[in-house]
Amino acid sequence: MTGEPDYDLKTLGVEPEELDGFTLEDLTDYLDEGRTPPNPAIEESAGCRLALDALERLRALTPELLAADVAAEPATDEGWVQGILAGIALDARAGRRIPLTEEVPGRDLGITEGAIRGLIRAAETAVPGVLVGRCFIDGEVEEFGVPVRIRLEIGVAFGTPIPASVELLRTEIAARLRTHTGLNVTGIDISVRDVSAPIVVAGGEPAWPEPAGSEPTREIHSLDINPEDNR
Amino acid sequence: MSGERFSSALENADDRIVAGRAADGDAAAFAVLVRRYTPMMRAYARRILPGSAEVDDVVQDTFITAWAQLPELENLERVKSWLMRITSRKAVDRLRSSRPHADIDLVEPVASPAATPPRRAEALASVAALSAALKELPDAQRECWVLRELGDYGYDEIAEELDLPLSTVRGLLARARKYIIVRMEQWR
Repeated sequence: MTGEPDYDLKTLGVEPEELDGFTLEDLTDYLDEGRTPPNPAIEESAGCRLALDALERLRALTPELLAADVAAEPATDEGWVQGILAGIALDARAGRRIPLTEEVPGRDLGITEGAIRGLIRAAETAVPGVLVGRCFIDGEVEEFGVPVRIRLEIGVAFGTPIPASVELLRTEIAARLRTHTGLNVTGIDISVRDVSAPIVVAGGEPAWPEPAGSEPTREIHSLDINPEDNR
Repeated sequence: MSGERFSSALENADDRIVAGRAADGDAAAFAVLVRRYTPMMRAYARRILPGSAEVDDVVQDTFITAWAQLPELENLERVKSWLMRITSRKAVDRLRSSRPHADIDLVEPVASPAATPPRRAEALASVAALSAALKELPDAQRECWVLRELGDYGYDEIAEELDLPLSTVRGLLARARKYIIVRMEQWR
């Protein structure tokens, strides 16, 4: 700030008479708009500049305040977590009722949508490095034998061979659904939504193994590789 | 995956996957969200309800509502800011029930001379100063400031949440900012 001797001499003021007629509210709005378009009347006012600096310092400090507050909170103990789980209605996710057999008078055998989602999630145990996220069963499942499609999102650990793992997961889900339900599954769409942060291997770049001859996975709708977003 | 490896994978999975499982009814995934965001939600609720014994109740209520409403959350990756929103709503509800509506304090805050924060490293001292200044603010000013700056609310959203005219919200925020920056200047 050369050539502005009075800039340093002035003390911070917050009233219009100290801000060349502007209010602190005007200056906050101006900051919210990213100081664009530049307003020369504000930018050339020493009083406004001081107040803008103070407002910017405050704004920069706010995330630090929240971080310090969070750090000061006690660690979440397991009793707290269990207390919350005890208060939620686990059956709230049952969803639709899906018949397991052809309708027979006097006999009624069905499974809930929620239970089928559980079956689908459990397929991940057969595929290392894969975690199933949200899944949907598209179709009129309440009627036996109607074609349905399964749609799910997965996250994979960095280094997991994606095409092979997706294929393995699809096979596993199909087999489990065939064994345990009467669903007429016509397709299983899998989207990879997350690749978890790479585990840095000592002495080299983390590898991304790609099995030879693996087919492109056209069923992958979106492949969001953003390790920075991953916590 | 073995049980232990699996739970650590879930513990480290990103919000979208974890929230997606919870939306589908996986209580273990919901527990991950509870562990992950309880400290942040407590801290935020505490800024809205300082000195209140109700902070834990607010956070607990928030999770119960969140569990019920998760299946309707469209952007699962935004679960964190969604939880923060529910937290502030619940905290504001407690405020409303604990004081008469007309209590829009026109009183100006009084800085207590004993409230000078300790001078440690500059950044820490500044955070402590901000924290102290916030505690000195009258309730309505503090609530507006916390919702705006910590909760990322728009002015109109604050007006709706606190059931105040927009012009009042703007005025309260202007006074809160004025007070905070002057107070922090004194401590610099």
